[in-house]
Amino acid sequence: MKILTSLLFILAFVHSAWATPELVKEKACGQCHRFTPDQPEGNIKGPDLFYAGNKLRKEWLMNYLQKPEPIRQAGYITDPGFLKAEPEIAVPHPSLNEEEAKKMADYLSSLKFADLPEGVVDSEPLSKGKRVRTKIKFERSYGCSSCHQTINLAGKIRGGVSGPSLVDAGNRLQADWVFHWLTQQKKFQKKTRMPVFQLEKDVVILLTKYIMSMKKENLK
Amino acid sequence: MKSYFCKTAHLIKIALGFLLIAFALVACGESPSKQNTAEKPPTAVVPAPTASAPEPQPVSRVTEATKQTYQWYCAQCHGIKGKGDGINARLLPVLPRDHTKASYLESRSDDQLFLAIKSGGLSVGRAPCMPAWGHTLDDDTIHSLVRYIRELCECEGA
Repeated sequence: MKILTSLLFILAFVHSAWATPELVKEKACGQCHRFTPDQPEGNIKGPDLFYAGNKLRKEWLMNYLQKPEPIRQAGYITDPGFLKAEPEIAVPHPSLNEEEAKKMADYLSSLKFADLPEGVVDSEPLSKGKRVRTKIKFERSYGCSSCHQTINLAGKIRGGVSGPSLVDAGNRLQADWVFHWLTQQKKFQKKTRMPVFQLEKDVVILLTKYIMSMKKENLK
Repeated sequence: MKSYFCKTAHLIKIALGFLLIAFALVACGESPSKQNTAEKPPTAVVPAPTASAPEPQPVSRVTEATKQTYQWYCAQCHGIKGKGDGINARLLPVLPRDHTKASYLESRSDDQLFLAIKSGGLSVGRAPCMPAWGHTLDDDTIHSLVRYIRELCECEGA
């Protein structure tokens, strides 16, 4: 009896592990997204998902998969219509039902780079003064808002659209991943349209906290 | 007396706070009219040649790779044909440079264009919307982009 229970438990575990990739196949996610870095970058049509567990917050994934809202108004960087902001592919992103979204969010959250340090960015938010000074760095020193939409001090959306929107970055992204992206972009993706920056660690932490302070509920 | 000093210090703090916020609100660049008047003379940006100045860079060639680099990075703001009408253009406080407009570009030296690409707009006294590409593109690629901009504007620079 004990053996049978153990077998059933193992079977249930294996089934759930298999079932989710089946869902990935069923929804044809692999037509646009990479689930392994071994695939060539040239053919991708959407953001890589093999480090989704480092990058995205599970709660956000659950919501997004059920009710997708555009993050890249011009489409993905490889889209033939990107430079005209007339994307040809995957607009809108397919939506899933609640059960599917939960399975998918669980699976995506399990896809991680094991060697990325966690807890690099502490959870203490920027003070009001630091936020203003970091905004100046974000916009003036590094020109980030030329390509990314953010929320300005008046609570309005401002900025370019060639990069992914950061208006809801605080709900969408994980702080540690933002830090790692800003310090070692090429680890994740060889060719992006974003400049490579070589900044001091404390500056990157300030920028990360500034980006993470963007939440759509702060819009006025 | 003490309270007078405290009050004055408090007023100074408030004034500084306003100044900081005003500066922050200017965001990525000045207004176009201010940009024109605030332009620094070329000598303030590019040091005058000295006895120890490096040899002039060889003129890089424009290749298919140069054009692809322009389309991949620059066209986001400067547009597919370099007319300053990329997808970000209308959302910026300062319009990206129109690379087909000789009237402006013939007043800029190749060194100034090189520095603007490598170290960003602020480094040559222009709009900060233009980020620094020096850690993304090598010097040869940036030199070839300068040549490509010269082709687009059909104008020469020193």
